[in-house]
Amino acid sequence: MNDDHRPDPDALLAQVQREEIEEKRGRLYIILGMCPGVGKTYAMLLLARQRQNDGLKVLVGVVETHGRKETAVLLENLTILPRQQIAHGDHTLEEFDLDTAIQRRPDLLLVDELAHTNAPGSRHLKRYQDVLELLDAGIDVVTTLNVQHIESQVDIVRQVTGVAVQETVPDSLLDRAHEIQLVDLSVEKLMGRLTEGKVYLGERAQAAAEGFFREGNLTALRELALRFTAERVDRDLEDIRKARRISSPWKTNARLMVGVGPTPYSESLIRWTRRASGRHGCPWLAVWVEGTQPVSAQEQDLLARGLGLARRLGAEVVHAMGDDVAATLLEVARDRNVSQIVVGKADRRSRWQATLADRVIAGSGDIDVCVVRPVIGRPSNLPEQKRRKFAAPGQVREYGIALGIVVVLTGVCWQLEPVVGYTVPALVYLLAILLTAFQISRLPMIFMAGLSALAWNFFFITPKFTFEVGSLQDMILLVIFFAVALSMGQLTTRLRVREIAERRRQLETDALLRVTQSAALSPETGKGLAEALKIINSVIASDTALVVRELDRTLPAQAHEASTWQPLAHELGVANWAYANKQIAGRFTDTLPQADATWFPLQTATSVMGVLGLRLSGNTAALDFNRRQAVEAFSLQLALVLEKEHFIHAVSQAEVLEKSERLRRNLLDSVSHELKTPLAVIRASIEGMGESAANPYVVEIDTATKRLQRLVDGLLQMTRLESQVVEPQLEWCDVNELLEGAVKAAGDAMGSHPVKIDIASDIPLIQTDQALLLQALANILHNSAVYSPVQSAIELTARHAGQRLRLTVRDYGPGLPPGEESRVFGKFYRAAGAPAGGTGLGLSIARGFVQALGGDIAGWNDPDGGAVFEILLKAEFLAQDDDGACFPTEIAQAAQV
Amino acid sequence: MTALIIDDEIQIRRLLRLALESRNYTVREAESGRLGLQEAAFHRPEVVLLDLGLPDMDGLEVLKNLREWSDVPVLILSVRDQENVKVAALENGADDYVTKPFSTAELVARLAVIQRRRHGNDAPEIVTGTLRICLDSHEVFLAGEMLRMTPTEYAFLCALARHAGKIVTQRQLLREVWGQQGDGQTHYLRVYANHLRKKLGGKLIIQNEPGIGYRLLDPVG
Repeated sequence: MNDDHRPDPDALLAQVQREEIEEKRGRLYIILGMCPGVGKTYAMLLLARQRQNDGLKVLVGVVETHGRKETAVLLENLTILPRQQIAHGDHTLEEFDLDTAIQRRPDLLLVDELAHTNAPGSRHLKRYQDVLELLDAGIDVVTTLNVQHIESQVDIVRQVTGVAVQETVPDSLLDRAHEIQLVDLSVEKLMGRLTEGKVYLGERAQAAAEGFFREGNLTALRELALRFTAERVDRDLEDIRKARRISSPWKTNARLMVGVGPTPYSESLIRWTRRASGRHGCPWLAVWVEGTQPVSAQEQDLLARGLGLARRLGAEVVHAMGDDVAATLLEVARDRNVSQIVVGKADRRSRWQATLADRVIAGSGDIDVCVVRPVIGRPSNLPEQKRRKFAAPGQVREYGIALGIVVVLTGVCWQLEPVVGYTVPALVYLLAILLTAFQISRLPMIFMAGLSALAWNFFFITPKFTFEVGSLQDMILLVIFFAVALSMGQLTTRLRVREIAERRRQLETDALLRVTQSAALSPETGKGLAEALKIINSVIASDTALVVRELDRTLPAQAHEASTWQPLAHELGVANWAYANKQIAGRFTDTLPQADATWFPLQTATSVMGVLGLRLSGNTAALDFNRRQAVEAFSLQLALVLEKEHFIHAVSQAEVLEKSERLRRNLLDSVSHELKTPLAVIRASIEGMGESAANPYVVEIDTATKRLQRLVDGLLQMTRLESQVVEPQLEWCDVNELLEGAVKAAGDAMGSHPVKIDIASDIPLIQTDQALLLQALANILHNSAVYSPVQSAIELTARHAGQRLRLTVRDYGPGLPPGEESRVFGKFYRAAGAPAGGTGLGLSIARGFVQALGGDIAGWNDPDGGAVFEILLKAEFLAQDDDGACFPTEIAQAAQV
Repeated sequence: MTALIIDDEIQIRRLLRLALESRNYTVREAESGRLGLQEAAFHRPEVVLLDLGLPDMDGLEVLKNLREWSDVPVLILSVRDQENVKVAALENGADDYVTKPFSTAELVARLAVIQRRRHGNDAPEIVTGTLRICLDSHEVFLAGEMLRMTPTEYAFLCALARHAGKIVTQRQLLREVWGQQGDGQTHYLRVYANHLRKKLGGKLIIQNEPGIGYRLLDPVG
């Protein structure tokens, strides 16, 4: 990990992304109470009234007053959304009208009783799902909730009150809340209110008091609510602290290290270290020392699990090689400036052999060593393999070879002994051990050394055919022989293991190089990838499937053609998970382990390019560390190659786009020229006619020309919008100027309507493209003017709240055709009975322009008749103080010029 | 007075000739940019009507070329109605911009405005409608009454009044009033346009052309 104290870029990025998402989404305010009757709805309505007074557009989506008078009074002056009628069997049910609520786009929507289950036939099963949709639509929602409806609290509530709550709200929704406000009331007061009949009316009050509303229950619920809120506050505080501390994520220079071995104890050591690093606020390493001992499948599994856990918990996983675990650990620790090493306390101490902890402590020097008593973790899923006392089948052969060689050599030496003397056989034995040790493993080698020593003693040292040794000299010779044979054998075996490991690494490096070369340098990416996958298959012993993401960053339903097996639909589900979560998933992992394959995300520094699915051939029980590392390395290489491909593609795509854009602009220009020139000629000619322009025929030509001109303008604007040539030019603009300009631009049609402009007096300058917004507004005004009867008023209102500008046009015409409120923005939409002369493009263009500005437009009918159109724009408002009067001297100079 | 029409459409040229000749202009025509530049060099017209979409070169190029050696008033006459095209033309030295289809009356009025400016350039005062600005004493009179102005308001009004009736782009205004620091600060313009509108009380109109600039108009004239 990093020594310096830079902020973690991922954390920063995550925060920025969170903020961006929150920017677009609506905010959720939850009013939490311990039980019905504490005054949540009351508090919600108070809040709503306050916001309405602040100038926000507040809409009551659904509020249950339960016949409480104080609450009903607060509803006055608030706009209430009519409930939706849902036919259910013989009777109709009333339910919250989600679609209309979204269409009306209030600044704040009131939705009571979050845990409510919707009437059958509604879009969502639960009301909180409605709320989620509202939030995604960018609408701020305030809602109420009782603590017993929170999913995580349900068990406790049942234990305490004996009531099993059915209607629950997931905790994740509460995590999305921008603010949770607790309405608290002492139990005595609540009981008082209950007896006064303020909570439930009539008989229900009595029933309630005897059932749920017992003092004990209420106290427990109150505690739950208080505690829940307190925890939430605590977390917010932590977040703030984290955000403040983000410039230096680690408090200290401490760095912990834990050794991970193939034992069930490792997991508890890893967890301990994680907690300690959390306390110290420091980074930590998990180190695996690969020795020369072969590792069984079961141990592999334990190891993979331990290292996986460490990785998940945020450790940096280090892989080191060495026979002496303690020495290697210390070496790594010194190398990485570790301040504290965590080792497990052995449960049995051997009298003779120093434990790992002892040896680490002995060599630790200035590094602290923490010896922790581990708790035995989950045993391996794999069938327990008895630690073998006897040799495995592979080794029996090696014992046989050792025995055979010794027997043969003894035979040969027996023949030679009279000639060469009894010491030569010893050297022959030594040579044989040395040569054989390259081929066989450790224990057979020791067996061979011992057997040779015995054979030499028995057959060659006088007295022969006994194990007795006659002279001291022979005794010494024998001992030295045995020692030399043993150590030589040991050394050779170790050399051999190292060599095997080296060779494996060499193979992997080589394969990696070949993968990179074939994938990156191949002129055809498809072939190159196929070649690369073949290499991976040969190294890992597997089948591989490659799924490359599409341009829209989703995974296709099919693997890349280079794949050597085709994953089925459920496998692709695993692949999608791995892709979305940027984590390894599938077989041999904790996520979806039933899958056939293990899926590795192809991750580069900036993005995930796809996933690589590995189906190991044979009945491998685990994906060992080495193979996993190798696959990860391959994945990175493939990801880089794919990313490069992607960039090349993107660049050429951009070039094509630019070309076609230039073409489109030219085409637009020439089409405008061709259409507008004759129009210009006709108009100028009519004007030039002077007195004869009053001729009724000429008047008709004039009217038709104007209509044609509007149509041409509309079509050109539409084309421009659809070919995305419209680029908003942001500038500060004055809403007064905007509205007046729009009325003027709406044309002659406005002349026959009194226009009432109502602009909030304190409205600041807004940053937007004035020309586009003006045109959009003018189109709406023109539409209203054309569709409403002559001399009926048109009201133009501008309001602002937060960072939102709301422009409303209201007319007193026939209104929008019911049920077609959103269709009026469609291209060439003409309402039935529309007056002649329209193009059916005006509103469509208005919507296009507003959307190009990042806003939205909606239309509905006012309950008192007439249509309402509303432009809602999120935009930057000018802070009031900077008006440019800050350079008096330069201005005076400028005035002199 | 000589007017030069540079437009590739013969019908437009014929119509403009009719309209202008009836108002005592002598009209010369050119059907391409190259010919137009030649005409302008040989005959020194007093006003140029220039189309942007010419067959041989872009009208903007013609304008730039023309501005290298001549300060003849230029009125752009084009079908292109996007703000950025207009701003580009105005900032490259065009005096005003009229989009096709156009109203002949408006066109002639604009022509008159851009030519008028060429005369009263060195006068010690600017007069537009009932507004009189004394440049040496920095005093502003509206219908005979003196108006109190802050230095910024004064500079802003001068910048507009000097080109009365003609559009002044936002960038020109900002540069003229605020200097280098003014670049991009379009909100200054909105604020001062409002201040001035209040002081002028409707006797003169400060008209905003969205995305382009401002125009000082005399409602009577």
